[in-house]
Amino acid sequence: MQKPIIELKKITKRYDDGFTALENINMTIEPGKFYSLLGPSGSGKTTILRIIAGFTDATEGDVVFEGNKINALPANQRKVNTVFQNYALFPHMDVFENVAFGLTLKKMPKQEIRKRVLNALKVVQLPDYANREISELSGGQQQRVAIARAIVNEPKVLLLDEPLSALDMKLRKDMQYELRELQQRLKITFIFVTHDQEEALAMSDEIFVMNDGQVLQSGTPVDIYDEPINHFVANFIGESNILPGKMLKDFEVQFVGKSFECADAGMRPNEKVEVVLRPEDLDITTPEQGKLVVKVDTQLFRGDHFEIVGYDEDGNEWLIHSTNPVKDGKQIGLTFEPEDIHVMRFGEKEADFDARLEQYEED
Amino acid sequence: MKKRRISSIYLIIVFALLYAPIFYLIFYSFNQGGDMNKFTGFTWEHYSALFADQRMIVIVLDTLLLALLSSVIATLVGTFGALGIAARKQKKMKSALLTLNNVLMVSPDVIIGASFLILFTSLGISLGFGSVLISHIAFSIPIVVLLVLPKVDELDPALLNAAQDLGATRWQTFSRVIIPFITPGIFSGFFMAFTYSLDDFAVTFFVTGNGFATLAVEIYSRARQGISLEINALSAVMFVFALILVVGYYFIDQYSRTRRQKRKHHQNETQNEGVMLP
Amino acid sequence: MKKTRSFFMVPYLAWIILFVIAPLILILYQSLTNNQGQWTLQNFQTYATSWTYLKMTLNSFWYALLITAVTLLISYPTAYILSKMKRQQLWLLLIILPTWINLLLKTYAFIGLLSRTGTVNQFLAFIGIGPRQLLFSDFSFLLVASYIEIPFMILPIYNAIVQLDPALVNASRDLGATNFQTFTKVVFPLTISGVKAGIQAVFIPSLSLFMITRLIGGNRVITLGTAIEEHFLTTMNWGMGSTIGVVLIVMMFIMMMLTNDRKKKRQEVLPNEEKTN
Repeated sequence: MQKPIIELKKITKRYDDGFTALENINMTIEPGKFYSLLGPSGSGKTTILRIIAGFTDATEGDVVFEGNKINALPANQRKVNTVFQNYALFPHMDVFENVAFGLTLKKMPKQEIRKRVLNALKVVQLPDYANREISELSGGQQQRVAIARAIVNEPKVLLLDEPLSALDMKLRKDMQYELRELQQRLKITFIFVTHDQEEALAMSDEIFVMNDGQVLQSGTPVDIYDEPINHFVANFIGESNILPGKMLKDFEVQFVGKSFECADAGMRPNEKVEVVLRPEDLDITTPEQGKLVVKVDTQLFRGDHFEIVGYDEDGNEWLIHSTNPVKDGKQIGLTFEPEDIHVMRFGEKEADFDARLEQYEED
Repeated sequence: MKKRRISSIYLIIVFALLYAPIFYLIFYSFNQGGDMNKFTGFTWEHYSALFADQRMIVIVLDTLLLALLSSVIATLVGTFGALGIAARKQKKMKSALLTLNNVLMVSPDVIIGASFLILFTSLGISLGFGSVLISHIAFSIPIVVLLVLPKVDELDPALLNAAQDLGATRWQTFSRVIIPFITPGIFSGFFMAFTYSLDDFAVTFFVTGNGFATLAVEIYSRARQGISLEINALSAVMFVFALILVVGYYFIDQYSRTRRQKRKHHQNETQNEGVMLP
Repeated sequence: MKKTRSFFMVPYLAWIILFVIAPLILILYQSLTNNQGQWTLQNFQTYATSWTYLKMTLNSFWYALLITAVTLLISYPTAYILSKMKRQQLWLLLIILPTWINLLLKTYAFIGLLSRTGTVNQFLAFIGIGPRQLLFSDFSFLLVASYIEIPFMILPIYNAIVQLDPALVNASRDLGATNFQTFTKVVFPLTISGVKAGIQAVFIPSLSLFMITRLIGGNRVITLGTAIEEHFLTTMNWGMGSTIGVVLIVMMFIMMMLTNDRKKKRQEVLPNEEKTN
């Protein structure tokens, strides 16, 4: 493990009116990686960004940058730069002046500033836009200028506050590739705030899933997708079938009145749990061969797959992704592998979850 | 923290200077001695003199009547003017109308007064209540237009289409969709016109002739003769009047604001990451 | 419907012709004719060759400039601090409240405050430098005029500061600017429109505040406004009064041209054009 560049230690943020925006946040950010803070609006992710940037103070806890506590360091002396949600480009300056702003403050020679600004504009693919007014730029171009303005200062960490939320779908997809590519080229740490789970899954080395001012789960996109810690995470990231169940014993779980072999262990016998089955892990077969039988209710064509909704005998709703269509109203069988079943305990904290996983995976 | 204290002190000084003359006037309105130099004892006598002053009471009523009449008429003319300006398709026509509209907004009072005086004389209109009323209507119209126009521009054309789609006639669309939508603009226009009229001295002074006086003109002629504590009493009454209006306005505003916020709060309860100023 | 719409516009258009265009033409006509109604440049000639008129104009301009400068210096910090306060609506109303008190009442207060035996002179006597002649001096005119104009300078500046996106201030700090640099490079340039609006709202009326010069300045201070009032209502020389009026209008236009933001105009026009196309 590399030496961390930023550590948040027991950060709590409470406003004057008593509202708690963040509660006991601990984070370790390693250099050169792409991090995402993912959560619904109001979950506190932007507040974390503002605390790191120095726009607001934490009520409790420490912000540590390269081993030094920087709680009291004003924003203009921190070696981080921010790409703001609505870009916050200075409307009274042109593109060049905007990008040059930070360098001019450092009293750098004119020649050097020019070189660096033009280079930064080249990096964001706007080489010929130096003399344009901000009001003449499209949303996507403003976005690029905002990125250029931040990276030209060569920050150790770049903070991005929902930078893609104002762009349309197509442009957003393009910018995802570009941002990821840019990060790998510059080798700067990115901390990217978003409420779009697809965006976070696509771009990040590591994701922090947040809700109600707390970090619920952190890990690689694959880990979080495959092993969500609780109902909220399972629901928020990707699509899921979530059912109440009972852990009969290690590697055997009961739901919809039947018992199934599974890959989870380390829980009390007969403990009440929740079971997650991803729609793309469900395969359609004949009713006779299926582990479950559902009746097809509706189906929608999604381009690369069909999205099928069906109900089993107990009235549970099932979401299935299939490459082939089925007939409406028809009874179909569903099969899945033991490792497709993911069991979640109620109220399990991330540390306990990790410990349990490690323990039974070693066996 | 220290910086905060300095700015608070600065603000307090500015407010103290802003209010000192007004409170000074009010304070001496209770003075038994006849001047504003030395407070010799408390008395209500200047207030009873004020309320017994027939001429003053007539002037106050005239001033209020003038303000009410002129603002109502200016609001009517100005609202239709704003609707008309907004309906112009050509940009040039629209901006020409707006420029003409704003001429009286930026003109100094003396110019308005002097040129209206020439106008009334050349049209043979005698000076008095009528000429003052016409002048007040004239200088209030542009402010009504300026306050109503943004509301008209905010009106989404789709709303009008929707009304027509649902079977409203043009008149029904006008009275049930357009007018209710721009009502806040009309009210603030009326309100501003009313204050403009109450506040005006210079224009009235030019076009009033000898027979008719508004409060401002009366205060001017009395103040030229020197100090009379009846005027102090009058300013105290007017200050309380203005204060009641302002406080009332504030609470109505606060009330509707919190209600709006509450509703918003219910819609998206999680939107709490507000923008905090540094 | 086209016709009814035009019908409702009639009073407004009549207003424009009668009370906007006609008065301007009339004042120009008055200044260019003599008592017999003949065209002449006599009035302008008198104005341009008379040292009294020119001095009065320069004086008036100079006073207006001073009043504007004083109010600006006091108002900008006030507006800035105000924009950071809690309960802004209440503070703002407290700024607006004095403007609701009739200007003449406020002027009248100063007659008492500044008189030879008045409160200010009592204080000056107390600290050993008075009493002095305060009323009917240039100083008293500047003081009272500035006092009356301050709210009209604070409000537009405050509006401009409030409209400033706080993210821009954060962005500036984020890019390494100190508080002072943020102010000079971001906050002030972006609120200059409010300053200009404030200057417009204060400078032009300051040229024409004849009642304050009459009540407070005595005959020591004569502004363009005082001269116009005198020519129209006392000496009845409307031709000369209108001539000074034309000078005042010209000054007004110069002021507007100086303070109108061309760059801003363009930005305002752009989105509208997109809408209509």
